[in-house]
Amino acid sequence: MNGTVLQMRDVVKRFGTFEALKGVDFDLRAGEVHALLGENGAGKSTLMKILAGVQPATSGSMTVLGQEVSFGSVADAQAHGVAMVYQELALATDLSVAENLFLGQLKPFVSHRALARQAEPLLAKVDLDVPPLARLGSLAVGEQQLVEIARALGHERRILVFDEPTAALSSGETERLFELIRKLRQDGVAVVYISHRLEEVFALADRVTVLRDGEHVLTRSVADLAPEDVVRAMVGREVLRFERQPSVREGAEPFRFRYEGPGLRPGTLELLPGEIVGVAGVVGSGRNRLLSTLFGVNGAAWVDDRPVRSPAEAIRRGMFLVPEDRKLMGLVLDLSVQSNLTMAILGRLTRAGLFIDHPAESAEASRWIERLHLRPPEPRKRVGDLSGGNQQKVVVGKALATGPQVLLLDEPTRGVDVGARSEIYGVLDELAREGMGLVVASSDTDELVGLCDRVLVFRHGEVATQLSRPLDDKEVVAHVTGARQVA
Amino acid sequence: MLQAQGRWRELLARFGLLLALVVMVVVLASISDRFLTTSNIINVLRQISVNAILAFGMTVVIIGAGIDLSVGSLLALVGVVTALLVTNTGLPVWLVLLLAVLIGVALGAINGGIVGYAGVAPFIVTLAGLTIFRGAALVATDGRPVSGLPPVFTTIGYGTFLCIPLPIWIMLGVLLLTYVLLRHTALGRAVYAVGGNPEAARLSGIPVRNVLAFTYAFSGFTVAIAAIVLTGRLNSAQPTAGVAFELDAIAAVVVGGTSLAGGRGGVWGTLVGALIIGVINNGMNLMNVSSFYQQIVKGGVILAALLIDRALSRRSG
Repeated sequence: MNGTVLQMRDVVKRFGTFEALKGVDFDLRAGEVHALLGENGAGKSTLMKILAGVQPATSGSMTVLGQEVSFGSVADAQAHGVAMVYQELALATDLSVAENLFLGQLKPFVSHRALARQAEPLLAKVDLDVPPLARLGSLAVGEQQLVEIARALGHERRILVFDEPTAALSSGETERLFELIRKLRQDGVAVVYISHRLEEVFALADRVTVLRDGEHVLTRSVADLAPEDVVRAMVGREVLRFERQPSVREGAEPFRFRYEGPGLRPGTLELLPGEIVGVAGVVGSGRNRLLSTLFGVNGAAWVDDRPVRSPAEAIRRGMFLVPEDRKLMGLVLDLSVQSNLTMAILGRLTRAGLFIDHPAESAEASRWIERLHLRPPEPRKRVGDLSGGNQQKVVVGKALATGPQVLLLDEPTRGVDVGARSEIYGVLDELAREGMGLVVASSDTDELVGLCDRVLVFRHGEVATQLSRPLDDKEVVAHVTGARQVA
Repeated sequence: MLQAQGRWRELLARFGLLLALVVMVVVLASISDRFLTTSNIINVLRQISVNAILAFGMTVVIIGAGIDLSVGSLLALVGVVTALLVTNTGLPVWLVLLLAVLIGVALGAINGGIVGYAGVAPFIVTLAGLTIFRGAALVATDGRPVSGLPPVFTTIGYGTFLCIPLPIWIMLGVLLLTYVLLRHTALGRAVYAVGGNPEAARLSGIPVRNVLAFTYAFSGFTVAIAAIVLTGRLNSAQPTAGVAFELDAIAAVVVGGTSLAGGRGGVWGTLVGALIIGVINNGMNLMNVSSFYQQIVKGGVILAALLIDRALSRRSG
C-alpha cells in the first residue's frame, strides 16, 4: 500500500533571473494525503505546475511509478494519471457544467443529452446537485469549485493535486470535500493538498512537506508535528493566533443600514463605530450578497435612510468595499501599485480638478505602502507582479485612502499567507480602535472568531442567528452548516 | 550574467520598436541616398500626419479596451460638412472650424454613449457608425467633392512655420495633448483603469460609462482635426475620403505596443508605430516597388513587429 508513486529530485525552476525552486525533493506514496505548505511565493504552486505538466522544470528529475518522466503538456501528465484542481478556477463560464467536465476530450459533434448523462455520475461523486446543462457561470463560486474537482476526478487518477480547494468553499462544502478526499485515499490515490489553513491540514493530511523561498524545509508525518512547528518552518519565525480586545464604542450613534435585493431578504443592520461585525454562511446564503448590496453594486440599500444606488454613491456616503476576488474586482493588474492605491481618490489629488498632482500622489501612495508594510515597497511596481498577500494589502490600502467610516471586507484574507494575514488583522484591529465600523464576510471561521465582536449567520438570504462574544468556532460552524437551527 | 541578460531583455522590450525603426531607417538610407535627406524626412512626417492624428485618438479608445471603426467615415463627413458650411453660408471660417470640431466630438460621444450606456460591443457600434457616417457624407454632397474653399485651407495644408509644414505642427500638438491627457490627468488614468479592469474601476467609484463615452468623444475630436488637415491638403472635401483609414490608425496603435485588450500602452508608441508604417511606405515608393506588393509588405511588417514584441515582452510565470 505504501508504494512510492512519485519522486521529484533536485527540481530547479527559474523565471528569467528569479529562482522559484532551488533544488527541491518531493515524494508521494499511494494512498496518502500529503500536505504541501509554505507562504505565498514559497514555490508550492510552481512545483505542482511542473508535476501537472503546466510548465517544465529548468532542471531536476521526476519519476512516476519508477518510470522517469518529463511532462511536456497537461495532457501528457494526465496520461500518467496526474491531475490538478486549481486555486483559481480554470473553467469556461459560458459553457455548460457538463461541457466543462469533459473539456479537452470533447468529440467534434456533441450530443448535449449524452454529455449530460455522462456528467451525472461525476457530479454525484462530489455530491453536487445542479442540472448538468446549466451554464457554469450561473453557479455560485463554491459550486464551480466542486465542478472543477469533479472534472479532475473524471479520469483514472493516481495522483491528484488540490491547490487551495477550500478557498471558495463554505464550512459545509469543505467537510464534503474532505470526505471525498478520504475516500480517494482509501482507493489508493496519492493526494497532494495545498492550503493556507493549518486546521485543515491537521484534520486531513498524513504527511506534511514545507517549502520556504523555493527550498525544501521539512517532510514529516503529521503525528510528529504540532501546528506551531509547521508555522515556524513556514515563516521562519513565531506567529501568534490572532485575538483582539473589543473596541466597540457603546452608546455612540450607530450606522443604520437597510437592504434588499436579489438573493437577499429585506433586512436592517446597525453598526457601531469601533465594531467589527462578522458575516458567516454557506455559499449562496446571502453572506457575500450582503456586502455588495450595501455597497450599491446590486439590489437596493440605504444608510441612515439615504439611498445607496451605486458604488460611487456608497463611497460618497463614507463606505468602501474590499471585494471578494482581488484580481477580478479589486485591482487593475497592469497598473502600478501607486495607481491602484490612489485610484479611488485621484480626483482629490489634482490641480484645477484636472491635472494629477504627482508629488501629492506619491506621498499618498508612500503613506499606505508604509502603513501596510507592503513588500517590496516600490510604488512603481506592477501590481500583477506582487504576491497574493501584498496584492490584498494594496486593495485594503486603496479602501483606506478614501478615509471611510465603514469598511466592508469580503473574504479579506483569501489566498493570503500567514505573515500577511496577521498583518492585515493587525490593521483591521487598529481601524476599529480608531472608530471605524467594519463588516467582514468570511468562510474562515477562525478569522471571524478571532476578529469579530458579533457574527451574523446567514441562511437562505437572511440572518438566521446572531452570535456575540465570547465566540466559539465550533458553535459558529454548527450554525453555518445548519447543524443547530435556532439559538 | 543572468542579471545582465534580464536587463537586456527589458531594454529590448521597452525600446525594441524604436530600434526596429532605427534599423529600417539605416537600411533604407544605405539603399537609397534620397531617403535620408531633409526634404524626404519632412515628406514622411507630413505623409503620416493625418494617420497619426487619427491614431492618437484611437490609442485612447483602445487603452479603454474599445475600438473605433468609424474614424475614416467620420473624417469624410466632418470634411464635407465643413466645406459645405464654409462655401454655402456666410459663417466666418473660424466658427466653421470650431463647429467642425464640435461635430466630431458630438458624433464620437454618441458612439461612446451607446457603448457605455447601452453596453453594445464597440466593434458593432462603430461599424454601424462607419456606414452611417459614410452614407451621410454621400447624401450631403450627392456623392460629389466640394471645392472652392477659402485660402485658409491651403494655408493649413501647405503653410509652414519655422520651415516645417503646418500638418506636422498640428500632429505634434495633438500628440502633446493626448500625452498630457493620458499621463497627467485623472481622466486619463481612469481610462487605463477602465480598460484594465472595468469592475475594479467601478468599485473604486470611477464613472465607467462616462469614461468610455469620453474616449470615443476624444477620438471624434482627433478625427475632426484630421479632417481639417486633409481638406487643407486636398483643397477640397471628398465624401469618399478616408476609406480604410481606421485600419491604418489601428495598425499604428498596435504596432506601437498598445494592447488591444486595453489598459496598457501609450501615445509615444503610437507615434513610433505611425512612423514605422510611414517609413515603409516611403521607402518602397523610393525603390519603385509596385503598390500591389507594397500592401503585402506592409501587412508582413506589421505582423512581424507584433510577433517580435510578443516574444520580447512575454512575462515570466
